[in-house]
Amino acid sequence: MSEALITAKVLHDCGHINLRGRRNDAAFVAAVESVCATSLPQALTTAASGDLRIYWLGPDEWSLVTTAEKTAALLAALNGATAGMHVAVNDLSAAFVTLALGGSKVRELLAKGCTIDLHPAAFASGACAHTGLAKAGVLLALQHVEFRLIVRRSFADYLLQWLHRSGAEYGIEFV
Amino acid sequence: MLLIKCPHCGERAETEFSYGGEAGIQRPANPDALNDAEWADYLFNRKNPRGMHAELWNHAQGCRRWFRVERDTVSYLISDSREL
Ligand SMILES: [Zn+2]
Repeated sequence: MSEALITAKVLHDCGHINLRGRRNDAAFVAAVESVCATSLPQALTTAASGDLRIYWLGPDEWSLVTTAEKTAALLAALNGATAGMHVAVNDLSAAFVTLALGGSKVRELLAKGCTIDLHPAAFASGACAHTGLAKAGVLLALQHVEFRLIVRRSFADYLLQWLHRSGAEYGIEFV
Repeated sequence: MLLIKCPHCGERAETEFSYGGEAGIQRPANPDALNDAEWADYLFNRKNPRGMHAELWNHAQGCRRWFRVERDTVSYLISDSREL
């Protein structure tokens, strides 16, 4: 295979914070948005601000992903801003592995193991969805032309093997 | 495969969900006051209708929320899906 139509990269420099709180609690939303300098994303979308990405997980749940270095400060700032509120802020960095996937055939590859509609009209930049990929639970998001795949650490080895095999016909390259 | 509409995520494949049985089962407020037959009725007896059925589903691989679905057990037609 002369040219890789898909590239995959494990992003080691990531911290994951799980945030839960009530969407209709104006004080909670304002506190989080002032810390993050972006609005909390609506259903099935991502918000981005600098190194930080906020993924919608559910009606009262978000995943905040930033660099490993900035995670502790973000955690402290969120805890400070939401002190006394009905919230849960937890550092889950050790629980997840993050992958970046790019290339012209990446939607075709993902569609082999995923039941959601990945056509560009249905899954565009800014979209995020928690779904199944080859039976593993994954958070799938797209920013511009790069897919992010966030998977539980215990499934990462399996999923990398699946990507390796299923991506072989596209010359998938792990960089 | 069924397409089930999660009230938060929209239509997703059946494989993303887990089934939670009949909806609307209320835990008795005062279990000590029940006799064995009444307690067994709460624990085990379900309507199991042929036709429309109100049931619980959990979007296990998605938003992980429980919600309520109205499904026809004959045609599998899902006519309603809403938050609890
Ligand atoms: Zn859902």
